[in-house]
Amino acid sequence: MKRLIVGLAVFQAMAGVAVAQDLKIGAAFPLSGANAEYGEIFASGANLAVEHVNADKMLNGNLVLVYEDSQGLPTQGVVAANKLINVEKTPYVLSAFTGVSKAIAPLGTRNQVVMVNGGGVGPDLATLSPYFWNVIPLANFEVKTMAPYLVKDKGLKRIAMIYVDDPLGDAALQEMKAELKANGGELVGSFSIPAAAQQFSGVAARVRDTKPDAVYIATYGNQQVQLVKQLRDNGVSQPLASYSAFSTPSMFKLPEAEGAIFTSQHINVDNPDPRTKRMVSDYRAKYGKDPNMYAINYYNAVLTFADLAAALQKQGKPVTGANLLELRKNTPSFDFVGAKVSFAEDGTVKAPIQVNEISGGASKVIKSAQ
Amino acid sequence: MLAYLQNLLVLFSINAILALTLNFIMGYAGIFSLAQAVFFGIGAYTAAFVALNYTDSLLVCMLAAMSLSALVSMALALPALRVRGEYFVAASLGLQMIGVTIFSEWKSVTGGLGGMVGIPPPVLFGYTFTSITDFLMLAGVILAGILVITSLLVRGSFGRSLMAIRDSESAAQAYGKSVNTVKTLSVAVSAGLAALGGVLYAFYMSFVNVEVFTLDMSILLMAMVIIGGTGTLIGPVVGAAIVMALPAALTYLPFIPPGELGTIQQIIYGAAMVILMMYRPGGVVGGRTKGKSA
Amino acid sequence: MLYLQLLVNGIQTGALYALIAAGFSLIFGMTRIFHAAHGATFTIAGFVFYEFYAVLEWGLMPSILACAVAAGLFGVLLNRWVYVIIQRHEGSFFTVFAASFGAVIVVQNLISIVFGKGMVTVTTSLSRSVELIPGLYVAPMAFIAVIAAIVCFALLHYLFTHTNMGVALRALGENPGLIDVFGLNPKSLGNYAFLIGSVLVVPAAILTAATSGLNPAMGHHVMMISIAATIVGGVGSLRGAALAGLLFGLAENLSLAFVDPQWSEAVTFIILFLFIIFRPGGFYGRAIVS
Repeated sequence: MKRLIVGLAVFQAMAGVAVAQDLKIGAAFPLSGANAEYGEIFASGANLAVEHVNADKMLNGNLVLVYEDSQGLPTQGVVAANKLINVEKTPYVLSAFTGVSKAIAPLGTRNQVVMVNGGGVGPDLATLSPYFWNVIPLANFEVKTMAPYLVKDKGLKRIAMIYVDDPLGDAALQEMKAELKANGGELVGSFSIPAAAQQFSGVAARVRDTKPDAVYIATYGNQQVQLVKQLRDNGVSQPLASYSAFSTPSMFKLPEAEGAIFTSQHINVDNPDPRTKRMVSDYRAKYGKDPNMYAINYYNAVLTFADLAAALQKQGKPVTGANLLELRKNTPSFDFVGAKVSFAEDGTVKAPIQVNEISGGASKVIKSAQ
Repeated sequence: MLAYLQNLLVLFSINAILALTLNFIMGYAGIFSLAQAVFFGIGAYTAAFVALNYTDSLLVCMLAAMSLSALVSMALALPALRVRGEYFVAASLGLQMIGVTIFSEWKSVTGGLGGMVGIPPPVLFGYTFTSITDFLMLAGVILAGILVITSLLVRGSFGRSLMAIRDSESAAQAYGKSVNTVKTLSVAVSAGLAALGGVLYAFYMSFVNVEVFTLDMSILLMAMVIIGGTGTLIGPVVGAAIVMALPAALTYLPFIPPGELGTIQQIIYGAAMVILMMYRPGGVVGGRTKGKSA
Repeated sequence: MLYLQLLVNGIQTGALYALIAAGFSLIFGMTRIFHAAHGATFTIAGFVFYEFYAVLEWGLMPSILACAVAAGLFGVLLNRWVYVIIQRHEGSFFTVFAASFGAVIVVQNLISIVFGKGMVTVTTSLSRSVELIPGLYVAPMAFIAVIAAIVCFALLHYLFTHTNMGVALRALGENPGLIDVFGLNPKSLGNYAFLIGSVLVVPAAILTAATSGLNPAMGHHVMMISIAATIVGGVGSLRGAALAGLLFGLAENLSLAFVDPQWSEAVTFIILFLFIIFRPGGFYGRAIVS
């Protein structure tokens, strides 16, 4: 046992050899396990941002992004965050997945390290800690946009809803009920599914029974892809609607998802502002496809750090979590890729929401944000 | 750096506690359970629930957790132990799946899939455990306590009865050992002590959710026991250390793409299980002979 | 009408479960080896079919053949290279089970390295359902599933009653000690058991590939159903395991009319528990009470 500890310590000493004035930030992403696909997407955006920050010499010294594998699980996330905070001494950590975020938020508070989420949309992410920020608008906002769109713009009044049985799904359901009522629509049926379910023919049968005009789906990951396929296979031909989680390659590739609509943050990739233009064209050049919302969020998260850190360095203040938080509170707005946003007091962003449609294996905007 | 190592040690202690208690029934009693993660979960949720709603006294939480866990385990043991080993495996598998469903669905008590956040730090005789060093000490004491209890039980007459039953049930019965009582008691002890690991986990993380109490965790615990060696006291502890050190060790191998680290880790311990069972069923510590003595 | 729909869905699922459970029960009943890796056989079969049919585009019959070869090969090789060695020196339930489990973990992760961790499906129009009568949607796949199950069981029945090997296998299951006396070779019979049992997963794997999709972790669920069905059906009885598999498929689907989908998996295990408490022998078997 002792040998093990000494061994680990030796490994640590040999590992990170960064130059003194480099600024380090961390990322606790699922690099392996069931959600590694997401980790890769998040990393693609974050890495591009680091490249740009260093190319522009925005900071005194290099920006280095250190990755640790959270495996998408809370306990591993804590180990990963611990390593980043206590060994790599990062003042700013990118987080992903609600379970992980909730587990590591106390570490951020205790150690005064900023943690930023760009992937999870559960509403309980808003209240974790003043050091926990979200650069992605949380799910309830998206439902607020989709409901009136379905009822008023498309005339689809009777909505059936399938939702995963967790805080995200629950919050989406509550919002949907309220919004439909307010807009003259009707929730004709709501069906919760367990997060690990893979068989949906029964749910499809029950959805069909309610004879809806459209079906709203609130889940994520592999499950939503299987759900869409099986709904179509089992005779549910009504239009399908969902939120930003639909924005994954496996969903776009699925032939049965053709025509599905989903909301997402307003990401106008044709926005003429220079940051957006550069991010989109560089991403396209590097990966051969348009960046999706997750990549953009983590790009924005890194840039938020760069903007704040550069300002702190100009003021001669040290780049610590506490200073970053203080400065953020006093910064009225940030130039995110795609839109200008501002942080609310609780560390969430309000961003305009747009409606997209899956068409021909990619998404296109059908209603841009107000 | 110190804090990082301390964190690893606390998590290691929790895993060691779980592996030790699993080994108590697997190695000494010959009862194979795939439900250890459920008892871990019962311990954690109970502690969290009591701490959030009633009292943050460590002793009360530990008592509540252990009792509930032991009770549930008896619900499993009583019917399933009447018949052969395979039945208990299946029943424990069933309990594991039902347990996960209950953890995810009983929102008023477990917080559903969102889990329970903000669990307050535990208090023992007026002392509040807040820093990581506090938790490390607590973990160490509990781990040591379980080692002592297990050792006493195993070397005493209870342990001898257990091993007699493991080696030949009919012979044990012929000698007048009350087979069912002994087996049921051992399952209750194992579950009750495993719950202590859950209590520790809930207070340390100050957040519990179902993701860590799944079948994958039960399988991981089984791997720890098997690789370390069943039927020996330190075997499971060694197994826990090896299985936990794997991901960290793997990060230093440059040719493995980071996205595949978790996968490779699992392949290694899966293959280790197969190969060990073929040539060294006693595990790393036990050697060629499986579970002979304490 | 909802009930009728769920019943039909249940029969389709149940037919596939029956096949897989029968395979597991065959192996366990004949060789007394708790082949937890049966779930891995299923996963391998599914992904091999996907690779040959959807990716390499070899055509239906060659893909099915490749799938069967892969499944059978995996079962037999696992037996020859791992289980037999374990049985040579000790062969306790525990060691075999642990080794089997280890194999499952290795297979699952190897597959996820090659195919990714997400879900893949084989697209075919046969999975699209047609409205037979108002409110009842059945896909051609459902019929294929049931017919495949019936054909396989008929073949099995013929095998066990009218061929020498089949009779020998039954003898092995009933009394392994006497096998040597009759001049039969228990080792090669064991291999046959693994071969047949493993190939039985093929129809289910192919059908699952086309309907719900494949992912590397799907072996777990299959293994659980197999184990539960074997016990509920009665250890040693293929007919029992098949019936139990059908029962679980029906229960999983019909329960949706009454409870939320969260509980449909738990329903299977509640049934298992009830059987263990009240009728440990299962449908057809004799409970071996200690």
